This record gives sequence, C-alpha cells and structure tokens, in this order.
Amino acid sequence: MRLILLAILAMSFPAMAREDIPAKAWLDNMSQALREQEFKISLIQLQADHIRPLVYIHGKVNDEEVAFLEHLNGPPKNAVRVGNTVTFIEHDQPAYSVHANRIQGVIPAAFADDVSKLEDGYQFVLGGRSRIAGRPGQLIRIIPTDNNRYGYQIWVDMDTFLPLRFDMISGDKQLLEQLLVVELLVLDEVPAILKEAYKQEWPAVMSQSDRDSGEDWQFSWLPAGFKVLVKDQHRLIGSKEAVEYIAISDGLASISVYVAKAGESSLPEELVTRNGLSLATERVGNAEVVAVGKVPAETLSRIAKSIMLQ
Amino acid sequence: MDKLGQEWVSAAVDGEIDEHTLAELAADADSHEQWRDYHMIGDAMRGELPKAMSLDLSASIMAAIEDEPAIVAPQPIVTEEPKVAETKVASTGKIIPLFKQFGQYAIAASVALVAVVGVQNYNQETLVDNSPLPVLNTRPLIGSASPVSLQTGAVQQNQSYTNDQVVEQRRRINAYIQDHMLQQRLNNGVNIDDNTEVDTIPVAQ
Repeated sequence: MRLILLAILAMSFPAMAREDIPAKAWLDNMSQALREQEFKISLIQLQADHIRPLVYIHGKVNDEEVAFLEHLNGPPKNAVRVGNTVTFIEHDQPAYSVHANRIQGVIPAAFADDVSKLEDGYQFVLGGRSRIAGRPGQLIRIIPTDNNRYGYQIWVDMDTFLPLRFDMISGDKQLLEQLLVVELLVLDEVPAILKEAYKQEWPAVMSQSDRDSGEDWQFSWLPAGFKVLVKDQHRLIGSKEAVEYIAISDGLASISVYVAKAGESSLPEELVTRNGLSLATERVGNAEVVAVGKVPAETLSRIAKSIMLQ
Repeated sequence: MDKLGQEWVSAAVDGEIDEHTLAELAADADSHEQWRDYHMIGDAMRGELPKAMSLDLSASIMAAIEDEPAIVAPQPIVTEEPKVAETKVASTGKIIPLFKQFGQYAIAASVALVAVVGVQNYNQETLVDNSPLPVLNTRPLIGSASPVSLQTGAVQQNQSYTNDQVVEQRRRINAYIQDHMLQQRLNNGVNIDDNTEVDTIPVAQ
C-alpha cells in the first residue's frame, strides 16, 4: 500500500511541475522573458473606438536591449529602443528621443520590471488556461486591492512565458482595453532590423533639465501603492497654458495632476472616456486642479481634492 | 433402465421391496428421477403436496450449474456495454472542451461586437480637435471622451453654454489629455534612475 502511494506521488510530481508555479512566479518569468528573449510579436490593440495592429520585435545586441515597435495601419508611427533610450519616429514631427526603459504604450513597463512593486496595489491570482495565438496560455489575474484602480488580466505563454493577451477591466467587469497577440515568433538570432537600429545614430535624448522644479505639492490622501514620480512646471503642449504638474503612479496606472489658473470655460467635474481614461476637475478659488489617468473618475476626484501646498 | 427396473422403483416407493433390492436401487443413479417422480405422484394422489413446490429441483440446480458457464459467457456482451459507454464518455470528453472553446470564442466575439458597436456609436461624437498642431502629437493615442459623461456635469447644462464655450472646453480637455499622454513617455525614464524612494526624485534639477 505504501509503495503504491509512493508510486502515485512519484508519478504526479513531474506532471505538477508547471501547474504548481504560483501566479507571482509566472509574472516574474514573464518579466525575465520580456527582457531577455529574442522574439517578434504581432498584436492588436483594442480600445473603445480604436483597433490598431502592431508589431513588436525585441532582442539583444552587444548585451543591450533593442526593441522596435511599428504601427501597421495609418501613417508611419514607429518607436525604437536602444538600451535606455527610446526614439519616437512619427510622420508629422521630427524624431525625438527620451530616456526610458521600455517603449511606452504597448506592454506596460511594469511587466518587464520587478513585479513585486505592484503588490501594494494588486493581488496576483492564478486563473484558467486558454489557447491564444495558437499557443497554450496561462491566465494571471491582477486584482486591485481597492476600488481606486482598474484590474488587469494577462495570459502568459506556457512555453516561453511571453505575454499573449492583456486586458484592462473596470470594476464592473467591462473590458476597457485589450492587447491581443495574434502571432508570437521566438527568434534564434537577432533580427537584422534590430542590428540596424543599434548601429543607427538617433537624436539626442531630450534634456529634462529645462523642466522647472515645481512647488512642493503634497497629497493628504493617495490610494495604497501610488507614489509621486515627478513634480514640475511646464506649459501644456496643446494650449501653451502654464501648469504645475505632478505625476503619480502605482506601477500600472499613471495619473497626472495639474494645477492651473482656472480657465474661462470650466471643465466638467468628471469625465470618462470609453477606454478607461478619466478626467476630474476640482475648482479651488481661482485655481483649478485637473487629474487625468486610467483609473475610475471617483479616484481622480478624491486625489484632486486631497492636494495641498506644503 | 428398462421397464422392469421402473416397476422395481414403483414397488420400492410403495415399500414393497426388500432391503437388498433397495440398496441396488440406491446405487442406480438413473432410477432416482423415477423414484422421486413416483413419490410425487403418490403425494399428489394423497393431496400431500406442499403449496409452493419447486418442480424438478435437482434438475433446475443441475441446469443452473450447467448454465453457469453460459452466464459467464454472456459477460463479454455485458462488458461490451460499458465499452460502448466508455467510448461515449470519451467522445463527450472531446466534445466538452470543444464547447468550452466555442464558449470562449463566443465571449471574445461578443467583446469584439461591443467594441465595434462602440465605434459606430461614438464615431459621430468624437471631440472636435481645435487645438493648434502640437509639437508632439499624442492625440491618436487616446479615445474620444464620452459625451454621456460630459453631460453628467449638470451645471453645464443649466448654464447653457454657447457653442464657442463648448468648443473651448473640449479644446482644454484635449490639451490636458494630450499632455498626460506625452508625460507618460517622458516620465517613463524616471523609474530607471531611482525607483526606491520616488518622493525624492525631482527630475528638474
């Protein structure tokens, strides 16, 4: 009898090897895969009123990460990353470079980083499996610990640990945004385009020193896990309006808080776009606090109300 | 046993036989049946038969013993039935995941449908982009604001804004959203330099 039990145990262990990986470890593996593997993914980005096809290629040249992102539809719109410099090449303006560790706008940078930084605001829960892009995918739910932010779901390829699908979900389980991989190719060697990108001379990184340091704004309340990243003074790119600016983030959700002289036309108190981006306004005397970000409008409202000058 | 033997048995049943013949009869297995039959006939004539009577008990037992291989023999047929059931289970086992997949496709399709409906509904009501051509055009990255939410600010409705004011308001909303999108690109690098104590990162210094 004992022998039979031992035999059953011995037989079940190899089978459980991959089943037993906790959700956090899946994300750790994905983070490592995103940084170290050489791959090409074709994906579609699905937002309320946009469907965009994209190609993302990642590899390593001379031990430096090189990545290339291309929008396949519409006017040419590409981004190249070499090391910690990301250059945006867009049809309607000269190319410019910024200091960044990931190409922003596709797979959240936090997923290629240390995922334990997200644990203040989110819980990781292992979900079911499904087939995506012809590959077996393991679902990991990234559940917010409070109602102040949206939840996420990510499907990770069971062979390579690369992401296959990424959903942003509102509190009432509405899909706000989706990244869906349609083809994943693991490459044997660095593709020529990345070698070319590595050799290429890119515009110098835009200097951040012309940013005026902002006032010492503080928040009496921020949702758990949110931290202030940047404070500065600048002019809005569109309207040239002078604003005090504070950037806060919990790793996945980023919020911009602006303090400006109240305009002639007041802004709506709360505004929600269909892709989850919200805007909230709080008027204080003749000043206006505007918070923008992909979090529920109530959160923005509360943040806008909690700002104070130290 | 011949006719003579049968008479012997009959005589033995009636007790008209001597010890020796009885022993001989007992040794003769063939006449046992007749012995029993005669006894039964006698019992029936005397009205001494039991109410429930198993006729030909030894024969039925013998038949049962003889049938035993016959009962075992149909077992392949019996086991064939589970086999059929098994194949049924196996085939349904294949069907279930298939249906599950269809379920998932249906969910995915419904999501896509919602998205498409959304496009149809909201395309007509996209924000008027009146802002001067920005240096960094991040506009295509964002979705248009939902007019439903715009109306939730009931104050605006009451104050009955002029068209210019609505345009101006939208322009300002756009300016903020554009700037937010741009800042995402610029702030991304902040994490590299120092991501332990974020409060102590004044970028502009």
